[in-house]
Amino acid sequence: MNSMIYKKKSPLLVFLIPAFAFLLVYLYYPFVQNIINTVMRIGGLGRAAEGMNEPWYENYQKIMTDPYMRVALKNTLILIVCTIVFQVGIALILALLVDTIRVGAQFFRTVYFFPIVISATALGLMFNLIFLYKGGMVNQLLLHLGKLPYEVKPSGKVIVQWLDWKDQAHFLFTMLVPVMWQYVGFYFVILITGLNNIPQELYEAASIDGADGWRRTRFITLPLLRNVLCTCLVLAITGALKVFDLPWVMFGAGMPENMGWLTGTYMYDQTFNRMNVDYGSTIAVLIVVLGVVLSNVANRVFRPSEDL
Amino acid sequence: MKKVLALMLTLVMVMSFTSIAAFADGVTLNVVTSYGGDDGNRANFEAAVKEYEAATGNKVNDGSATSNEEWKAKVLTDFETGSEPDVLFYFTNADAEPFVSAGKVVSIDEIRAEYPDYATNMKSGMMAVAADGKQYSVPSSGYWENMFVNKAVLEDCGVAVPGPDYTWDQFLEDCEIIKEAGYTPIACSLVEVPHYWFEFAVMNNGTVTNHLDLPEKAGDAVAEKWAAGLNDIKALYEAGYFPANTLTASDAETVELFNAGEAAFLIDGSWKVGYFTENAEDLDDFAIAYVPGKGERSASEAIGGISMGYFITRKAWDDPAKREAAVEFVSLLTSDEIMSKFVTTEVTALVNGASPAGLNSLQQSAADANASITAVAGAVQDSLTAEARGDLFANVQNVVTGKMTAEDAVASAIALN
Repeated sequence: MNSMIYKKKSPLLVFLIPAFAFLLVYLYYPFVQNIINTVMRIGGLGRAAEGMNEPWYENYQKIMTDPYMRVALKNTLILIVCTIVFQVGIALILALLVDTIRVGAQFFRTVYFFPIVISATALGLMFNLIFLYKGGMVNQLLLHLGKLPYEVKPSGKVIVQWLDWKDQAHFLFTMLVPVMWQYVGFYFVILITGLNNIPQELYEAASIDGADGWRRTRFITLPLLRNVLCTCLVLAITGALKVFDLPWVMFGAGMPENMGWLTGTYMYDQTFNRMNVDYGSTIAVLIVVLGVVLSNVANRVFRPSEDL
Repeated sequence: MKKVLALMLTLVMVMSFTSIAAFADGVTLNVVTSYGGDDGNRANFEAAVKEYEAATGNKVNDGSATSNEEWKAKVLTDFETGSEPDVLFYFTNADAEPFVSAGKVVSIDEIRAEYPDYATNMKSGMMAVAADGKQYSVPSSGYWENMFVNKAVLEDCGVAVPGPDYTWDQFLEDCEIIKEAGYTPIACSLVEVPHYWFEFAVMNNGTVTNHLDLPEKAGDAVAEKWAAGLNDIKALYEAGYFPANTLTASDAETVELFNAGEAAFLIDGSWKVGYFTENAEDLDDFAIAYVPGKGERSASEAIGGISMGYFITRKAWDDPAKREAAVEFVSLLTSDEIMSKFVTTEVTALVNGASPAGLNSLQQSAADANASITAVAGAVQDSLTAEARGDLFANVQNVVTGKMTAEDAVASAIALN
């Protein structure tokens, strides 16, 4: 059935134009304005630009040399890799497992999806309590297991050397775990939907030919999941570049000691707390560029096939 | 038939959007104050708001939150994006300049042209004056910053409660004793609230009379004074007198450390008295003492003043319904009776003074300390722009860990002022 069935195309325009106009005003115009803002000098949100920067590419120079931006990029790259390996990886394993069971599949879907529904701020507060220095759940557990050194003073007072989960040695773990945990369910649901689209006959034919579980997964499931996996990867990469809420609630501005910046949190801090709006716009442009470049790389590598 | 029904439903929906405002009883006033979160006066404020709503039939949309740098930045952003509240309780110095100079708040003179009795219960000389010479805000209770001490911890360590002649050297000795006994000498989160220690460290390297001087360029006398103050804080950090996780803890965590009897000293302000009144297991364990003095500063010289006030925004003033409601709200909240509930030991601008009801032990301790205060200066950081201040305090962690010199941190802040 081709589109020649609709002889008059003009009714389509009536439906397309409002949405396009909306996008133009609220997405494309601000995006272009943001790029213009990167060469202007703006001292606060809502304030008019006070002329152009001297030289006009000052912000771009700054972003290349800013040590905190380098920290943010490094941490974000680590986050992207961990997102791909752990979030999508664990989601894939869970989806494959849940796909094999009949009883309780719906229960597991609900349970794994649930963390996404919870507000990231609430999760941040919860994980703050879990990783709290004195009296946090993890530290109390370690104390009871005898893993924390302690000292008994002559007065009888016991001083425990609590583990600081937000210090330089541990902050990466403490930052990544909650973010990973929250969105595994999201990719799990996408993958399980993709799995459901694979026809059962293929599996039946394969088992008749003598393929066991692992070979069926390797030669049928994974190739047919490529398109969906590619989508998941692009979402994971762009999500990691933008992530803000959970790391901000738990770590704030670059904690610890300016080593915990992510591109999303650094952009927010520069724009809203430091009132450096033009530099914040530059960081935003960098995030977009990185997102587009990395998504294209992911697409090339996984190349969703048209013929599947 | 279906088309008629669909059309009717759409019409009802559209009408319901517009008519909600008309059917609402009274005016809805958007108010933002710092009496939110864990502020000591939050309960008093919410009670006063209920009183206002009952008396006038208006509704108050309370957007109050705890005052910190993020809250200040958010308020300024709201003004710039046109979503400012109708009544705002905010700082009255350099922080307010962005919206005062943009004409977004109404001056007291303009309000008094229509409401001659507005804020007449306040001493005119004590009301804040903006850069253009006009007054824009009605002051509420003032504040003081001083040293809270946990008497139980001090007693356990055999350290005396500091008196008005407490010196820095005595303080360092006491901190060493407290640290040896296994307690944390100073409760402070250097990453979140370094500013109390900054104020007193700067005053310790200068005098109370020149405390409000701002550095004009890097390396001048005031900049060196500030750098010396930062280096004093660095010395305390290197001696291990701050909590072990001072660079990753939140203020709430370190205050709880103090509250739970694990730390001895906490510099905080008058607003915190309400916090301990509500949260301390035994209020008698706490007292207000004195921040140790060095050089030309004596421990009996403190930080304080009136730094916040109620503004009425032009947005509310231009709306005739909200104008009356806003004026009534501010008048009620700054009336003698309501102020007497907010104030226990803080200074006010009231002509008749406040008459607070019975003081609890901590409030009495604060009143006793205030009686021995010989001089007070405002906080010098309030004269910095938000960018400069944010930069300075974000660099305190870099200074104490040695990643940046104190001089560079001060220079970086001056460049943004």
